[in-house]
Amino acid sequence: MLLYGLKRVLTLAPVFLAMSAVVFLIVHLVPGDPIDHMLQIGASPERRAELVARYGLDRPLPLQYLTWLVRVVSGDLGEAIILKRPVAQLIAANLPYSVALGGLALLFSTVVGATLGALAAYFADTAFDRAAMATILFGSTVPNFWLGLLMILIFAVQLGWFPVSGARSWDAVVLPVLTIGLGGVALIARVTRAALIDAWRQDFVTLLHAKGLSRRAIFARHLLRHALAPVVTILGLKIGWVLGGAVTIEYVFARPGLGSLLITSLAQRDYPVVQGCLLMLGVGVLIGTLLGDLAQAALDPRLRERLA
Amino acid sequence: MSRVHPLLRAAATPLGGPAAVYLVALIAAALLAPWIAPYPYDAQNLAEAALPPSTAHWLGTDEFGRDLFSRILYGARISLGVAVSSMMASVAIGLVVGAVAGYAGGWLDRGLMAGVDLTWSFPEILIALVMIAILGPGLGSTAVAITIGYLAQFARLSRAQIAALKGELYVEATVALGASHAHVLFAHLVPNALTPVLVAGMLAAGDAIVLEATLGYFGLGAQPPLPSWGAMMSSGVAQMFIAPWVIVFPGVAIALTVVAINLYGDALIDALQIRNRLRER
Amino acid sequence: MKTALKAVLVAAAMIGALGAAQAQDATFAVTAREVGAPSYNPITATKLNSANSLIYDRLLLQDADQSFHGQLATRWEQSPDGMVWTFKLRPGVKFHDGEAFNARTIAWWIPKFAGTENKHTTAQIDRVEVVDDLTVKFHMKSPDPNLLFNLASSFMGVPSPKAYDALGDKFGVTASVGTGPYKVQSFTVGQETVLTRNDDYAWGSDLSKNKGPAKFKKITVREIAEDSTAFLELQTGGVDLLYTVPVDFLPRLKTAKDVKVMTIPGTEIVYMPINVTVEPFTDVRLRAAAAYAIDQTAIWKTLYGGVGKPADGFLISSLEESKIDPKFAISYNPERAKKLLDEAGWVPGADGLRVKDGKKLQVKLWTSNGTEFKRIVEVVQAQLKAVGIGADITIFDASTINAQYKKKTEHQLAVRSYSWTNADILDWFFGAARVGYPNVSMLDDPKAEALNEAAMKKSRTWAERVANFKAYHEYILSQYALAPIYEPVNLFAYSTKRMTLPETIRGTRLTSQSILDAEPAK
Repeated sequence: MLLYGLKRVLTLAPVFLAMSAVVFLIVHLVPGDPIDHMLQIGASPERRAELVARYGLDRPLPLQYLTWLVRVVSGDLGEAIILKRPVAQLIAANLPYSVALGGLALLFSTVVGATLGALAAYFADTAFDRAAMATILFGSTVPNFWLGLLMILIFAVQLGWFPVSGARSWDAVVLPVLTIGLGGVALIARVTRAALIDAWRQDFVTLLHAKGLSRRAIFARHLLRHALAPVVTILGLKIGWVLGGAVTIEYVFARPGLGSLLITSLAQRDYPVVQGCLLMLGVGVLIGTLLGDLAQAALDPRLRERLA
Repeated sequence: MSRVHPLLRAAATPLGGPAAVYLVALIAAALLAPWIAPYPYDAQNLAEAALPPSTAHWLGTDEFGRDLFSRILYGARISLGVAVSSMMASVAIGLVVGAVAGYAGGWLDRGLMAGVDLTWSFPEILIALVMIAILGPGLGSTAVAITIGYLAQFARLSRAQIAALKGELYVEATVALGASHAHVLFAHLVPNALTPVLVAGMLAAGDAIVLEATLGYFGLGAQPPLPSWGAMMSSGVAQMFIAPWVIVFPGVAIALTVVAINLYGDALIDALQIRNRLRER
Repeated sequence: MKTALKAVLVAAAMIGALGAAQAQDATFAVTAREVGAPSYNPITATKLNSANSLIYDRLLLQDADQSFHGQLATRWEQSPDGMVWTFKLRPGVKFHDGEAFNARTIAWWIPKFAGTENKHTTAQIDRVEVVDDLTVKFHMKSPDPNLLFNLASSFMGVPSPKAYDALGDKFGVTASVGTGPYKVQSFTVGQETVLTRNDDYAWGSDLSKNKGPAKFKKITVREIAEDSTAFLELQTGGVDLLYTVPVDFLPRLKTAKDVKVMTIPGTEIVYMPINVTVEPFTDVRLRAAAAYAIDQTAIWKTLYGGVGKPADGFLISSLEESKIDPKFAISYNPERAKKLLDEAGWVPGADGLRVKDGKKLQVKLWTSNGTEFKRIVEVVQAQLKAVGIGADITIFDASTINAQYKKKTEHQLAVRSYSWTNADILDWFFGAARVGYPNVSMLDDPKAEALNEAAMKKSRTWAERVANFKAYHEYILSQYALAPIYEPVNLFAYSTKRMTLPETIRGTRLTSQSILDAEPAK
């Protein structure tokens, strides 16, 4: 198990390198540069040249990439060109909000989704099963900006239970979490249901039946563990979601977060910030997938060989 | 039971049936839009702006006096068109990349999958926004962005299928008889892996429609006056209180379509009995 | 029993105090275009939001009737030849960091603009002379009748020299020090700025009834990009004042019980610049046709509910220079547009679009992302189509569109706006020296340049300046370098449950002079 874990960690390094190169390249493929956004309309070419040189944007791309990479590896994400603050500080200021929103939403999706999926599997092929699987779809089939606005209209404006927007009090996170969470319920529910139905068909279940265990007991004590593996995989994948996927919701609810930091900086071509955020996101997902794989391998020894 | 084509069998289920009917009707409506739409989708009439549903305008008019029903019909062409074309491209690329990776194994496999995983790390909306920043706004960029965003899952699925089939006896036999690896891969293995990947693609098309709507909300998808459902919802937000139908009807259209895709897709998976082949590992 | 009673009384007192403290706090919101200003540095910033006028004071303020009133300056006079300006400064003014404001501050301040993106505001000043503690003289390079207007602009707040020099690049980011009625407690870019009252403030201008410290102890200025979210916050009481009211929600707000909507005469013009250097708009008849195709009245009535007014020139109606000879005014005239197209050889094709020599009349129509622009551009597209001009819309985000304009050859038509209360905006957008950007009409016409020179540099008095700019304005319109569309008003709204504001708003924008008079509601 340890060996497997170690092997996986070692493969992270080349992937990280590749990721950093891709991130850098993509960011510089976008037309325009931050200097365009700093200059007043009608600024002179000399002024532009001066600013370009100040931020090192006139040096050859590979050199810029290496300089940035070396700094990143030694822990310095650089300073934002337009926002004039250390990138690490910007990320640190926004990260907690993203983690709170994404983490709680993921928790909500998992708890509600897994419960519904388990129930649907228990009552498989009955009217309840069909009804449940059909209803949960609605959360993930409407664009989430609409769902968010609907939430605001119903729960904040009509009922007045929660604030409309912002992140200034604890309860401001509820409506955004519900909006994102409802979207994830369908996926988790479907995966849980499928895993349980599959597990039900396994041979060992017949054996347990033969031993006299009731359907409910088999479900509760033996099968639920089998649903964990695929759910854990999904969760590992969705880490990226936690960190940057809430862009639309952050916009609608006027909340801070990595998503909106990324989008604003992208619009202004603030290279250090965009690069820093994308890289952090990628690393986050790498680690998330790794943890997911390790958890899976811990749960199911057969997987260690297959995954290696 | 096995004589009936899976597509029809899926349509015979309680949930898959209505879904199939809806989808067929939608596709027909999209194809026939130029003939059945009562008004052109860009005919403005400022004097008749923001009117509620009536006999003249079945679903009301938007802020420029354009008939909402006609726009939703034409919008079906855009939403379905973008979703289907980008999914087909994504499935095709993912299928090939995953098949090659699964068959070759070793460092080629690891390299290709690492590349694919790079796109998987980032939420589709972010990839889409970055792609559109590079390519400029519009339907074409949207399609490219969606293609890249969903690539990874098809590649992984394809790879898993091919890797599982690789060890089959008939593969060894064919190779022993002198067939090239390419021939074995594309003539024998890929067709067997096709079905799960295609069905996954169909399910992902639903997500693609929602993604296109979100991009439309930011003004980055179809450019005016094209009636993409997402763009219609975006301009409908401001009209929310004066003319709620402008945002409600396209939203309902999106929801019904995606739900139908999911329900029929699920029924199809059951009919084809490929549920366990849809795991990516 | 006694202790319980005491506890209840203490609790009641605390709740009472909390309530009172809360009444002394207010939450404002800026929306859409004002969101995301990266810093509060008034000298180098190219984007400042409305909160900046609460942090910094200017030398003068301009009222809605174009008159000037002193804020940090008390008196000013110009020498007869226009080459020397003398300003008397207000005594007893201090910066938030305790430093004194005096003539030396101004002597430090003016040269700081050199080399920044805002240097044109002080470009005509040759040097600053400190006469005594409270008197400065500006020695000019050439007469500048526009100096007072520039100094009164909300971008010309005076920062503390000590803090500015100490912080360098970080001024306006980690700290912003001015003389204004509020100090910056915290600034989270893109999210909110928390301001606390400057208790030493005692130098309000005569545009405010209250000259001393403001009435609200704390103001939180939130940045909310989505218009409907901002509107809903005002409706539910999450926000007490909206700096801009999205026009779509105006009808709802007007009928809302506890909300007051106030109007300030407009400072903006929405228009369509036409690139004169790209076919087919090299032909002035085509440009005129495009201009006459636009139905300003229909746009005004349907998209804006009759608020504001249709525009028929390039300048806002409160300026003297906007009162041009009616024969130059551009208004909806589809018959004239069609006639001009016929004359130029473009005949109607089968699908309604005009054709000439086998080529279809299909042009590009650009705009930047923003609800109002998106709506106007769709209507303009339909109106152009009605006379036979096909237009392809592309909506860019505000940053990309600047880069696109700089490519110089691609653009043809666009929908955009500017906000400025002075006729020199004509030079800004049509002067040959600025061809490319901001002169996206790419106008480089010798006659226009002669008129520009006369208006900008050769006017010695204000009356002369007005006459020269009128002539320049009329010529630009006669060349159809643009099509006027709409003149908005400035709307803002506040909750009457939480605050009261004076009945009439003084000044050209909602800035510190009005906020000084804002009080918690009784």
